[in-house]
Amino acid sequence: MKHTGNIGKPKRYGMVIDLDKCTGCGTCMVACMAENNVPFKKDESNKLDSITWLRVYRLTNGKPYPDNEVCYLPRPCQHCAGKHEGHSPCVSVCPATATDYDQETGIVSQIYTRCFGCRYCMAACPYHARYFNWWDPVWPKGMEKALNPNVSARMRGIVEKCSFCFHRYQKAMEKAHMEGRRELEEDEYQTACTQACPAGAITFGDLNNPEHKVHQIAQPDPAKGGRPRNPKVFRLLEELETNPKVYYLSSREWVQEACHKPHLLDQKTAHH
Amino acid sequence: MSKVDDTKHVAADGQEKVPTASETGGPIILFFMIGLALSLVVGWVIFPKLLYSQKKQPIDFNHVQHMELVDDGCESCHFFRDDGSFSGAPTLAQCIDCHEEVQSDTENEIRFVEEYVQKNREVPWLVYSKQPQCVYFSHVAHVKMGNMDCVTCHGHIGESTELPVYEQNRISLYSRNIWGKNIGGFKKNTWDRMKMDDCAECHVKEGVRQASVQTGKGGCFVCHK
Amino acid sequence: MKIDRRSFLALSVGGTVGTALTPLPWKIQDDLAIWTQMWPWTPDPLDGENTFTHTVSTLCRGGCGVTVRKVGDRVVKIEGREDYPTNQGGVCNLCASGMQMLYGPTRIPHPIKRVGDRGAGQWARISWEEALSMVAEQLGEIRQAGQPETVACLSSRKYGSVAELLKRFLTAYGSPNFMVTPSMMDAYDMTLKRMHGVDGRMGFDLENADYVLSFGSGLIEGWGNTAYMIHTNSVWKERKATVKQIEPRLSNTAAKSDQWIPVTPGTEAILALGIAYVIIKESLYDYDFVNNFSTGFEEFRSAVLSGYSPGNVAKQTGVDQSTIVTLAREFARARRPMALCGRGQGTVPGGLGESVAVHALNALVGNINRPGGVWAMPRPAVDGWAAPALDASAQAGLAKPRLDGAGSAAFPFAEQLFNRVPEALATGSPYPLKALFVYEANPLFSTPGAAKVREAFDQIPFIVSFASHMDETAMAADLILPNHAHLERWEDVPDTSGFHQPMIGLVQPVVEPIRDTMHTGDALLRLAAALGGTMAASMPWENYKACLQEGLASRWSQLEADGFWIDNRYRPDTWSLAFPTPSGKFDFGVAGSDLKALFAPAQPEGDDGSYNLKLIPYDSVRIPNGPVGSPPFLVKIVSDTVLKGNDLFVEVNPETAKAAGFVEGDHAVLKTPLGSATVRVHLSDGLMPGLVAIPRGLGHTAFDGYLAEKGINANDLIGSVEDAASGLDAAWGILASLVKA
Repeated sequence: MKHTGNIGKPKRYGMVIDLDKCTGCGTCMVACMAENNVPFKKDESNKLDSITWLRVYRLTNGKPYPDNEVCYLPRPCQHCAGKHEGHSPCVSVCPATATDYDQETGIVSQIYTRCFGCRYCMAACPYHARYFNWWDPVWPKGMEKALNPNVSARMRGIVEKCSFCFHRYQKAMEKAHMEGRRELEEDEYQTACTQACPAGAITFGDLNNPEHKVHQIAQPDPAKGGRPRNPKVFRLLEELETNPKVYYLSSREWVQEACHKPHLLDQKTAHH
Repeated sequence: MSKVDDTKHVAADGQEKVPTASETGGPIILFFMIGLALSLVVGWVIFPKLLYSQKKQPIDFNHVQHMELVDDGCESCHFFRDDGSFSGAPTLAQCIDCHEEVQSDTENEIRFVEEYVQKNREVPWLVYSKQPQCVYFSHVAHVKMGNMDCVTCHGHIGESTELPVYEQNRISLYSRNIWGKNIGGFKKNTWDRMKMDDCAECHVKEGVRQASVQTGKGGCFVCHK
Repeated sequence: MKIDRRSFLALSVGGTVGTALTPLPWKIQDDLAIWTQMWPWTPDPLDGENTFTHTVSTLCRGGCGVTVRKVGDRVVKIEGREDYPTNQGGVCNLCASGMQMLYGPTRIPHPIKRVGDRGAGQWARISWEEALSMVAEQLGEIRQAGQPETVACLSSRKYGSVAELLKRFLTAYGSPNFMVTPSMMDAYDMTLKRMHGVDGRMGFDLENADYVLSFGSGLIEGWGNTAYMIHTNSVWKERKATVKQIEPRLSNTAAKSDQWIPVTPGTEAILALGIAYVIIKESLYDYDFVNNFSTGFEEFRSAVLSGYSPGNVAKQTGVDQSTIVTLAREFARARRPMALCGRGQGTVPGGLGESVAVHALNALVGNINRPGGVWAMPRPAVDGWAAPALDASAQAGLAKPRLDGAGSAAFPFAEQLFNRVPEALATGSPYPLKALFVYEANPLFSTPGAAKVREAFDQIPFIVSFASHMDETAMAADLILPNHAHLERWEDVPDTSGFHQPMIGLVQPVVEPIRDTMHTGDALLRLAAALGGTMAASMPWENYKACLQEGLASRWSQLEADGFWIDNRYRPDTWSLAFPTPSGKFDFGVAGSDLKALFAPAQPEGDDGSYNLKLIPYDSVRIPNGPVGSPPFLVKIVSDTVLKGNDLFVEVNPETAKAAGFVEGDHAVLKTPLGSATVRVHLSDGLMPGLVAIPRGLGHTAFDGYLAEKGINANDLIGSVEDAASGLDAAWGILASLVKA
């Protein structure tokens, strides 16, 4: 196969989410929970302790009836690179080396057995993408059968978050290795949410690879910390210079503006 | 040393006796030695026995005998699937190919056929090299891409005529093969231990994905899930 | 030698030094460190071979084509099937949660019969033989007594071989009372019969439409085939099609549309006629279609022009005159405009007048049976079976009128009117019911005016449920013959949710049944065999799969090979051949019918002057409100502005709330003529003033702690209103009051 893309070089896996297409149906959240063995309790209505690696926020333009507008915003872990690769807000503060930045994939990892639950990372994350396990997960009798063996189950007292379905990268790599390859095709590694979205609103791939759709849509500018060159594309809280790898696309101005407000994802202002 | 003793000595000899080193230090050293010896025995002999519970495999298995019958070595039974995943311990479906009926008169095989084949139950093999849930290990990366052989990590299990006793750590619940047979954790061979350090050692040497920002060594998601 | 203090110390020191020289401390430290990371009580799922099996998930109304990932024999993931014609790789949130329906604890594990009072939840396990002979005995007695028409069946599916088998069972038995839970498709079917003269179903060539005028349809919230509609919405975005959403509440569909046009609830038909007025007045309609291929236009024209001027319509609907005019001009000038109706997910059919008024817009612009338009489609048929054999007692039973009045002189176009059943049973007219089969339907929860349905069911002495999960209706049954779960069985799923190509999906077993359940098809075959005679002769198959295969004979090989059958080349008839009405033309007026009466909006019940607000139900794509109860994943994604603890929030416009003295989160008593409930208030700028909006699908009393008792059931507060023209449920909501709790 002919490649002019990004061979043998570090990858920067990332996402573009088209907010014009996203309908807020929540299938991505379900697919994520099913894929990643995310537990559920009898009461999940307290969203502060409800674990959802991917959460769909509901933004409004704040205008009164009938000028009110609503936009849905799915928020996975943003896999920030920071000012220099690996200077992610959470990675810099973890005292346990439980969360780490992978130079080869750009993915922020979380190792549950390593985490001792200090929650510094949660305080540091401006996107509220990290979740603490206040309880041991309990699956109703029989439902543990549906657990995915490729993702370890978690336990009380530790922090967890979206991994960009890294186990899917591992599985894709196994297949590639079986065929003697060290590189993956674009469609071989896709996250569960990307795959499930009935709107096709999520695009996932290597931001460093000009052949990948994410690169083509976002057009990240490496000289400016990955800022998108596509004027319709933006990132959440760009001013914080977290250099996230999740890009958003919206044709509505108020949405673009809202995504720069520091309290964007706060409990009080955004409904889930 | 009691006072009464001292008085007796004086009375017998009529002069004050100066205690020699051997008389006072002797018992101390002796006790020290006893303590030392006891603790060494406890630490090296009794402790490992207490620490590990011994479990027998549900059915014994003769690797040598099977190796003679197959063409493709270990991979005949412990094979890779097309998706690159590793099959691990064989399932009943594989065994049934030959063992639908009893082949020999060994008690072991008769029991296997009666207990498992006929009842269509999977054999609950105890896997010596089972890693904890948080570990991701890709056989294909090591065997196909790294050109490693099975022996490097698993030793000469393929040359065994019976299965060793499975020892499980009562505290960590790991198989003893992870820490290694040697209770001191010393390893002579590459297959003697399967701890994270052993993985990391080789990964550092081979330069496998030394991508961690935190440690400068292997990225966490290389071996964890 | 004695052990004194010093020797003891020596012993200890020796012991310490010795211990330090053994692995004991280091090993224990290491093991303890590992122990702190070991949680043996958290499950460690077994790995195994990964396999991927195609099937169709029947949980959602449309049916998602899915690929099920199994590890060993466990189902771990359900993903959209890439090459499935409707959802095309995506999947809806309910079907994606299907593992929880398969493995969940609310599954009914084996046949059970009621031993305590109805609904008390006291059951005894019985064998399949015992269960089936119980039913056969009862049915035998009823038939013996010459009352076969008093056995009815309610199914949530109208098409497909299981529905057809249920119908066939009743036919051979002698009962005309096969009923289907109501939906907007009932209204569409009637409209098609009335205006096109076609006995078929409506199809919508949605992707090719470039201007969509939606009269309250939750296009991306479960209207039609959920995943396909969301996909279509993305196609519209890419092709820059325009979507205008007309409804009182800023739904997700309204939020994603190009323009939200709030309208007074229940006046959608009036607005449609106002738009028709402008189109007719400004001569924007398709001359060719109207002049050459339609009849009754003059009647329609005079009815519209006499009462639906934009000024008049604006007053009733709350939509500006200028907006009405603009909509009309845009709609008429678009290349492929399409008008759609069916509120929310279309669970309530709405009056026939609404459907006729909206469809008249499609006819005015001639976008009928054309690309990007509304198509008349043939009904999916199970055509491989021979006609059932009918003995004298079957013929006598079938000659009786239907319990719900469908097909009678009053409601000639209706096929079933389940909304009329409670009334019929309450009055015992035309006759009481002796036995009822319930197949994959949960009418005690999902029918508007659920309390009346509960009372009606109390009148039925023998209720048999085929439920696979313990829902409200199963709770009230006398006997449950649990069906296999959706991933354990064979079934055909014809797409009847408005897809514009004839299509059938094949449900194939992904796992062996994990409980002692039986396919309802097989249960019916065994019942028929037990009843003997023409019953047995009418259902001669060895098992359901054989019956399925024979029924779909001509399409079976493709179904088996591909997992679905589709007629890609289907094109509807051209105008000259399309309308088998008496005149051979599209009928705007339906000769002789009173259009004014037809278009009159439904009046909400119980107006005694004590209600100052209107309560409207809304359908959320995250809350299933049909036969399937939310699995835990779906309850988890319900917003905290809808459900908090067990409290349900109703939406109220901030102005309305302020006038009544409510602030965000206040507890309030919501009262309607049907009942009252305590709710909490959520202020929403996305709702017309004077309204209260309540989500459908919560407030279950059955199922388990992940769903039961959460919120309140909208159907306990909102009833049905019978449309005089069609018998359909035309309710758009109800009058209500909201006072401080």
